[in-house]
Amino acid sequence: MALPQSLMVSVMPSELELIACEQLVEIIPLVAMEKTAFISGAYGPLRPPARCKVPIWIATNLKLKKKCHIVPPSWLNIEYLQDRLSRETTYPEFSAMPFRFAEIAKVLLDVASDDFQNADKIRSLLKDIREARQAKSREGLTKLDHSELSLPNLSSMEINEIRPHFVKGMESLVKLVKDPEGRHMES
Amino acid sequence: MDDDYYSIDAILAENQKIQCTFKKEIPNMGHLTGGNERDIKPTMKAQIPVWLARTLFFSGYADLTMPPAYAERVRHALDAEATSVKLSNLVGQGGLWYGFGRLIMNELDDDSPDTQELSKLLATTFKARLPAVVDQAQHFASINTAGSSGGGADAGIAFREGLDGTERELFNLAQESAKRTKLWYESSDRGRR
Repeated sequence: MALPQSLMVSVMPSELELIACEQLVEIIPLVAMEKTAFISGAYGPLRPPARCKVPIWIATNLKLKKKCHIVPPSWLNIEYLQDRLSRETTYPEFSAMPFRFAEIAKVLLDVASDDFQNADKIRSLLKDIREARQAKSREGLTKLDHSELSLPNLSSMEINEIRPHFVKGMESLVKLVKDPEGRHMES
Repeated sequence: MDDDYYSIDAILAENQKIQCTFKKEIPNMGHLTGGNERDIKPTMKAQIPVWLARTLFFSGYADLTMPPAYAERVRHALDAEATSVKLSNLVGQGGLWYGFGRLIMNELDDDSPDTQELSKLLATTFKARLPAVVDQAQHFASINTAGSSGGGADAGIAFREGLDGTERELFNLAQESAKRTKLWYESSDRGRR
């Protein structure tokens, strides 16, 4: 009960970012490092110029010290995003994106924009995708129902954003709808 | 809008008065209805708070009349355009239209047509207004963080003033969440590490 109201209903975006930063990303190291043990596992050895997989938090850390280049994940490029955007705008359902794409894309674009070929274009594509998906989750709100709601392919950040009011809305609806048999009240 | 013993909302909604018609004579209790008579006579009408009405109702002393806030006229207005009805004005203090409606619903018989109708009215109204509530909340979340004034949003003013207590809560939740997410999207990690 000591937690502020906002933290009781959902987690912070920055916490989601922290979780997403556990995922692995490929880097091209510029410094050599022996295989090193961390709490989450052992990573390395770093042998420039061989590629190596490390968690994003190590990658960003090294990147900010200019000790590596980050290789963008396979989905974080213009062709892929363009394709997803056109799918997003033509089909009514959410298109499949990596579950934590928003967090990963933001962190990588933030610290390693010089490792992307066209960072600004990627940013604007991501923004368009986000807006298209937001319109759909709003659509989902109109279909809110006291028993269930299915929005497949929603990403973690989007779920987190709509969680408080969707949950509260459904909670209120459950109390307003009185039908012991289940769902025959649907109009 | 929950039934929790400690919920202030529930207590406030219970304090709401509803119209009852007495069915039996109750001697020496005339002062309860605010009149000068000594006894309560059958067919006498009185405004009674919900918490008291519950007992009267179950022990067969009185009958309950549907409050005007859920009566025909409001129903028609809500059918026509749910978002243009000011729910907060319908039920006095706190404007807990849904909470009060639910209380009445709980007093009534589960399978009476009145209950079904009331439940349907509450649920459809809630569903019809929910998207508008969230839209407004997100709109405000975006202009507030951008630092601009809230001008040019007068179309929504009437709607926001008419929000029921439950909707207000939803509005806050949606606004907070949208704000936090927006802040995160706009923040940069470069300086932090």
